Amino acid sequence: MHRITIVLIFLFSFLMNAQNNAVGTNEKLVFTASYNMSGILNNLAEVTMETSEVKTSKATLLRLKCTAATYSKWDHFFKIRDLYESYVSPTTLKPYLYKRDINEGSYFKAMKYTYNHKANTIKTLQQKKKKDGTLWDENKTITVQSKTKDIVTTLYSIRTFDFSNMSVGKSTELTIVFDREEIKAHITYLGKESLATVLGKKPCYKLSISTSKSDVLKGTNSNIIWLTADENKIPVFATFKIPVGNGELKLKSASGLRH
Amino acid sequence: MRKVFIILGLLAAILAVLLSVIPLFNLAFVPAVLALIFGVIALYLSNKSGASKKIIHYIFLLTIISLVYATYKSIFSAPEVVITEELKEKEIESEQDAIDELEELDIEGEDIIIDE
Repeated sequence: MHRITIVLIFLFSFLMNAQNNAVGTNEKLVFTASYNMSGILNNLAEVTMETSEVKTSKATLLRLKCTAATYSKWDHFFKIRDLYESYVSPTTLKPYLYKRDINEGSYFKAMKYTYNHKANTIKTLQQKKKKDGTLWDENKTITVQSKTKDIVTTLYSIRTFDFSNMSVGKSTELTIVFDREEIKAHITYLGKESLATVLGKKPCYKLSISTSKSDVLKGTNSNIIWLTADENKIPVFATFKIPVGNGELKLKSASGLRH
Repeated sequence: MRKVFIILGLLAAILAVLLSVIPLFNLAFVPAVLALIFGVIALYLSNKSGASKKIIHYIFLLTIISLVYATYKSIFSAPEVVITEELKEKEIESEQDAIDELEELDIEGEDIIIDE
């Protein structure tokens, strides 16, 4: 599931510095994650992407939250409760704080990134659980490129891009920081396609994703994401291929959309 | 040759029964179909040689049990639910922790909406 989560991230990852006209402040998207076993798709988990306003004494930020939780029937076999968050500027989706909390069976890992945009550095804190149950902290400051973003922010940033003026076959390179490492990802625009979704039949932008880390996503044109070809540009369907098989993500419900 | 198909049929039938009782019951159909094929071949070979068919009946019995149970679960299984209480608690806790963290950061900039 950890791999699936990583894949989720790459499937949505697209770094843009454009103004945010697509992501609203009370949006909730719920997906069903399925895994293909011997040609049969099994629903494994529910993935939720939610946004909300967060107020501090100085500013109002946008909280981007992604959660993954296994369906109850799987909890006895492998229980997953993952939480990914990013606190960003509501207008440009510029990230300020990123948090990740992973609970997968007995495995626990937490990560926190605090951005310093002036110095192009990220202060990181990683927490892991020792065998005796106590937490082990590791602090590290990493230097990154100016446009490097965490996975959750890039996940939403894809929607700020203007696909309507993009030519078919155009590829864009992105830099994502994951597990305190910068990873290059390539997004290729494959054109428009109509898809039957929970919101009805929708024209969609079709994108292909590949990464420099070959152990994360496998195959060429096997990792595809469809975004609605409207002002919201919400992800409605995705297919992915990872070292242990392939699966898909399907939109189950959508509420609080901006347009 | 008959024994080989009987063993394959039994293994496939047992696997089908095991799969049918776990959440991966959808997968039970694959070994169940294989068990049926092996069972039919074993039955044909037994008829030809006049050997006992008792064990082959067990293959069919197990296969039918797994197929019926997997089909029942496919049709009548409860809707998929996610138990998120602990996740919700963590989300609230994490947000409060994040606000404290953000208060310490210099995030005033042209792109941030400053509260009046």
